[in-house]
Amino acid sequence: MLDQQSLRSSQFSLDDADIERRKIIVDLAAEDISRITTLKGVIAQEGDRYTEDFFRYLRDLGEAPALFGRRDALAEAKRRKREHLTALTNGVYDQTYVDQRAALALLYSRYGLETRAFLGAFHHLLRALGGDIMKRFPDDPNGAFQRFMSVKKVAFFDIGIITDVLTSERERTISQQQEAIRELSTPVLQVRDGLLILPIIGMIDSLRAKQLTDSLLRAIRANRARMVVMDITGVAAVDSKVANHLIQTVAAARLMGSTVIITGLSADVAQALVALGVDLGKITTTADLQGGLEEAERLLGYRVVRSAEAPGQRLSA
Amino acid sequence: MAIPILKQGDVLIASLQADPTDNDLIQLRDELAERIGRLRSIGVVIDVSALDVLDSFATRTLRGIAQTTRLRGADTVIVGVQPEVAFSMVQLGLTLDGIATALDLEEGCARLRQRVDDEASRGS
Repeated sequence: MLDQQSLRSSQFSLDDADIERRKIIVDLAAEDISRITTLKGVIAQEGDRYTEDFFRYLRDLGEAPALFGRRDALAEAKRRKREHLTALTNGVYDQTYVDQRAALALLYSRYGLETRAFLGAFHHLLRALGGDIMKRFPDDPNGAFQRFMSVKKVAFFDIGIITDVLTSERERTISQQQEAIRELSTPVLQVRDGLLILPIIGMIDSLRAKQLTDSLLRAIRANRARMVVMDITGVAAVDSKVANHLIQTVAAARLMGSTVIITGLSADVAQALVALGVDLGKITTTADLQGGLEEAERLLGYRVVRSAEAPGQRLSA
Repeated sequence: MAIPILKQGDVLIASLQADPTDNDLIQLRDELAERIGRLRSIGVVIDVSALDVLDSFATRTLRGIAQTTRLRGADTVIVGVQPEVAFSMVQLGLTLDGIATALDLEEGCARLRQRVDDEASRGS
């Protein structure tokens, strides 16, 4: 079932000032509107055909297969397109009109209609409309052309809204994915009783540093950790800002009674930090993860020995 | 309301309840300094797990308690700092530098005990 409610709750919204500004941008004036309203008859007669043509054109191009695979979605899109054509010649381009365009754009975006495909089909529709307008006023080709140009202004006004919605939807998807990647990329793992490792991969910005600290502190409490080994081998760039985030994380963990060892500082990173004058003196650091784990185990009182070197400790004995 | 101080063996335990006033904290500091000497305690555990905020005054007083305690020959461990509290303290630049911290009361007591053992083994 199509979710009618969610088509309305688009993130995209314009106030009256925005709408007026957009009208100025496409140079839509009062005389355009009076010209357009003389075309109501054309749409009343041919609107259904234009709608069918618009979607047939897209289907023949093989665009937006998801839309044509869903009968209810296609019916809804057609109904809204037909509604659009009627509204187009009514001469009222207000909040309701904009909301209707945005809702249709949201429907397009949900069923994978690309902007370029939409533009092609919409232009196809305008071509048909233009031809019909010229036919309707055979004695006044100049007037017919004027009327068509006025319609075109509204068409570009619509295109502005539709492409904005499609773009903002795409940006929303990207930011959702980034969010998902962020959450995936900060696992906190327990390797021994009281010892956690936190491998950090990718960029560290303030938002991620906050999430990272947050999940680390929670894990410290949940696992009753006394040592944390934070591995930054996978951090692309460590500058003073990143170092500051790391220092804050270490300080916060310490307040909860946990000691943090930072591992994976490469030679380049170490030199860069020294050159920047960042003081990591209070923080225990080791070159690699292995060194960090060994140090943490030593501090926790673990002693790792090979079974051959520990007589009487063999499982097989 | 005064902050209760409990004696458990040779350790003193102070459990801060929600929103202690500045006066409560000062009273706690004075009380602890007096009792450590009288009861010959080896350490103090201050439990802050019930607090959802630690401001600069509380942080400074805790540091004061730790220093006083050390002068009286005992150690202090702050336990139970909540994740949210730890995070906001760091953001505000408040740290408990030089004071031992532990996850909870149990860990805190274990840490005090370990420190005493360490000193004993070093002394012998």
